[in-house]
Parts: sequence; C-alpha cells; structure tokens
Amino acid sequence: MQTIAVFILPLIIVSIPLYGLIKKVPVYEVFVDGAKEGFQIGVRIIPYLVAILFAIGMFRESGAMEFFMSALGPVLGWFGFPVEVLPMAIFRPLTGSGSVGVLADMIAAYGEDSLFVKMAATMFGSTETTFYVLAVYFGAVGIRRVKYAVQTGLIADLAGIIASVFIVYILFG
Amino acid sequence: MLNYIWAGLIIISLAFAVIHDITDITRNTYRNGEIHTLDIRFPKNSQTDQRQPVYLYKSDDDTGFEASWRPVNGQYELAIPVSEKLPELWLQIAEDQEAADRDVLLAVVTSFDSEASTVSLLLPEVRYVKLRAITAAAFSMAEFAVTLAIGLIGVMALWLGLMKIAEKSGLVYILVKGVQPFLGFLFPNVPKDHAAHGIISLNMAANMLGLGNAATPLGIKAMEELQKLNPSKDKASNAQCMLLTVNTASVQLLPPATLVALMGTGVNKLVISMALATLVSLIVGITAAKIYERFHPEEPHLANIANENKGEG
Repeated sequence: MQTIAVFILPLIIVSIPLYGLIKKVPVYEVFVDGAKEGFQIGVRIIPYLVAILFAIGMFRESGAMEFFMSALGPVLGWFGFPVEVLPMAIFRPLTGSGSVGVLADMIAAYGEDSLFVKMAATMFGSTETTFYVLAVYFGAVGIRRVKYAVQTGLIADLAGIIASVFIVYILFG
Repeated sequence: MLNYIWAGLIIISLAFAVIHDITDITRNTYRNGEIHTLDIRFPKNSQTDQRQPVYLYKSDDDTGFEASWRPVNGQYELAIPVSEKLPELWLQIAEDQEAADRDVLLAVVTSFDSEASTVSLLLPEVRYVKLRAITAAAFSMAEFAVTLAIGLIGVMALWLGLMKIAEKSGLVYILVKGVQPFLGFLFPNVPKDHAAHGIISLNMAANMLGLGNAATPLGIKAMEELQKLNPSKDKASNAQCMLLTVNTASVQLLPPATLVALMGTGVNKLVISMALATLVSLIVGITAAKIYERFHPEEPHLANIANENKGEG
C-alpha cells in the first residue's frame, strides 16, 4: 500500500509530459501556459482565505470552538466521527477556496501527519463545492426549480464525508 | 447559508469572548489592584536609588525569585523575569498581560520598608483577555492567509502546468471510452445518438482527472444540450439532476491542485483514500438520484427533439 503510494506522484509528474510528447504536444509551452494559472489562482483565493481563516481563528481563540467540540464531540463520537473534522464537513459543500483555509487551519492546529488532517484532506479531494456547482450549472441555463438536485448533491457529499473518515481510519488508523 | 455560518462564527466568537471577560471581572481572576507584599534582599552595600538585581521571597513559604530593581522618577519598579518559580497567579498575569513582552512582569513598588526589608507591589492589571486575543487572532490570521496563498503558488503552478499538458494531449479521451457504457443507465431519457452524450462523457472524464478548468465549461455545455431536450424550461429535468449529482460527487482520480500545494508530497498517501471515498460518494449520489427519479416520472425526451428541429429549421 505505502509502496504504491510513493510511486503515484512521480508517475504523474513523468507520465503526463511523456504522454504529451507522444501526442506531439509542445509540452514546454503548454506547461508554462498552465503554470501561469497557478499564480492567478493563488491570488484569486486570497480574499476567500482571509475571510475564512480570520473567522475560524477568532472562533478558535475565543474558546467557542472548544465549547462546541466538547458539546458535539460525544454525540458524533458515538458514530465514530471525530468532531475535529466537522468544520471541513460544514464548509466543503459551501466554499471551495474557503475549505482550503479550513484545511490550512487544521494543519496548523493538529499537524500535517495527524489523522484529522488526512481525513479532512480526503474530504476536500473527494467531494465538490455542491452549492457552487449548482449555482453555476443551473444558472447557466436559467433553471430556477432544481427539483431534488440539492438533496442528491448533499447526499453524495455526506456519503463522501463519512467514507473519508472510515477509509482513513482503515488505511492509516 | 454560507453568509449565516460565516457571520455566526464571528458573532459567536465575540459573544464567547465577552462572556469570558465578564466572568474574569466578576470572579476577579487576576486580582487586579491587589497589593502583594514580599520580603526583599538587596546586594550588600548597595543604594536603593541604583538599578540592581534583588531577590524577592516570602519567609513563610519557599517562594523566591530574582528581579531587577529600577528607580524611575522618584518611584521604584521591579522587572521580574518570568520563570517557573513565580506563583501561579503571577504566571497567568504575565501570560495574559497587555504588554507585548510576555517574559517580564513589570511591577510598581507602592511602598518600601528598608528596615524590615519588605516591599509592597502592584502587578499590571489584566482585563479583556479574550477580546484582545480574538482581535489579535483576526489580524494574524489575515496575514497568514496571504503568506499561505503565496506559498501555495509554486506547487499549484507545477500541478496546473502538468494538468494543462494532460488536457492538451487528450488524456481525457482514454477515460471517455470507460465512461460511455454507463451513460445509457444514467441518462435513460436522452436519445442514444444525441450530442449530449459526447459532451457529458468528456465532462465526466475531465472531472476524473481533476481538470476543473476544462470540466466546468464542458459541464455547462452538457447542461445546455440537456436543456434543449427539457420540456419545462425553468424546471430541471431528471437528466439534468443526474448530471449535477455526478458533478458534485466528482469522481476524482487525481487530487486538485490546491490540495497538492497544501499537503506537499504527503498527498501521495491520500490519492488512494480519495479515490475510494469519491467512489463511495458517487455510488451513493447516483443511487439517491435514481430513487428520486422514481418519484418524478418523465417521458423520454424524443418528442422534444422533433420540436427543436422544427424550431431551428
């Protein structure tokens, strides 16, 4: 398992340019073109990160985070769900850039190698910003009555969130 | 929704801070304004109007610590370096005091008896600890957000550069073939030869590779194709709901760029867990959509194509 994992990143980094080369893509120019977006995204997410991080920072510092965690912890713990990852579960469907902030806050609080961060990162990578997708996709074609799309989107998110917790428990716990 | 959660975080923080600070004041946690009397020992042959190291202690218990004696404008001050030897209350005052330097307690000498070698002092007053703390947190986190975002740029550029190559070299087309067999099951009401199929499979394949920039326009295009088939224009069809569910469940085989940048090389351990979790969410999402479909029966969209062709022709 761990051995496979070590090969994943180098495989991606090497095989994609190689495949591009085979397909006669000007890989260098295309890479640079794509890399430009990295800078734009980095700048674009700053306001979202500021908004989420300062609010969560205040929440943590005021003692409210501790209070809610000790209140909700036993309830969620009964289902085997660690209360520490709850902020990610709440923010993920609502804001993509904001949940980057949530994850950054968790890395600062619990350390990169902690189980909570692994769970939250898995959640981040395995679910989408449902409300954003809903607004963009249905907004583009002028649909107002979305029928059951919100429910199915959130059910899928919930399944992904719960699955993240247990899969990380099984793989790393 | 997000508006309420976000504002809620800030307002609740403020409420908690205020309650905490009021409790501090009513309980007099820091015993503000209380005079502490201790014994003092000066170095031999010293004058009290000089700066000098002194030793403070209580004769009735074993408290004892060093301090530095400072004459200031006819008064005296004691600068007490923070160490474990200080009483617990003093340590807490040092920790929560307003002064920027938390390693020194600056006490004002209110009275000084050179014969009995005792000194009475007033410690700095401590108030509104949590209010100051949340304000400081807001400022420091705002600053952290920017350094964080700037720090992410390098790896994100690397990742997005690679993804651009994947996009341009048509890596999606390998996955498209894998997706196509499922389209008939997912979108039963869409005619088999309709253009929507091709775009939907491209959208799903782009999502799998984490090509967000390519997937979103394709998804919108697919939504437009389905809208042409949709009999009621402001209400979503079952096919559109399914497309949305598949997109929000987001089958991702490759991690998104921001996650790679945040987690660094540690992300490789998570690729497998993410692929599994995303698969679970996809299966559950599709099952849920299929169940909802039963409660929202629809005619196959064939008739609308005829209308549409007439309209265009």
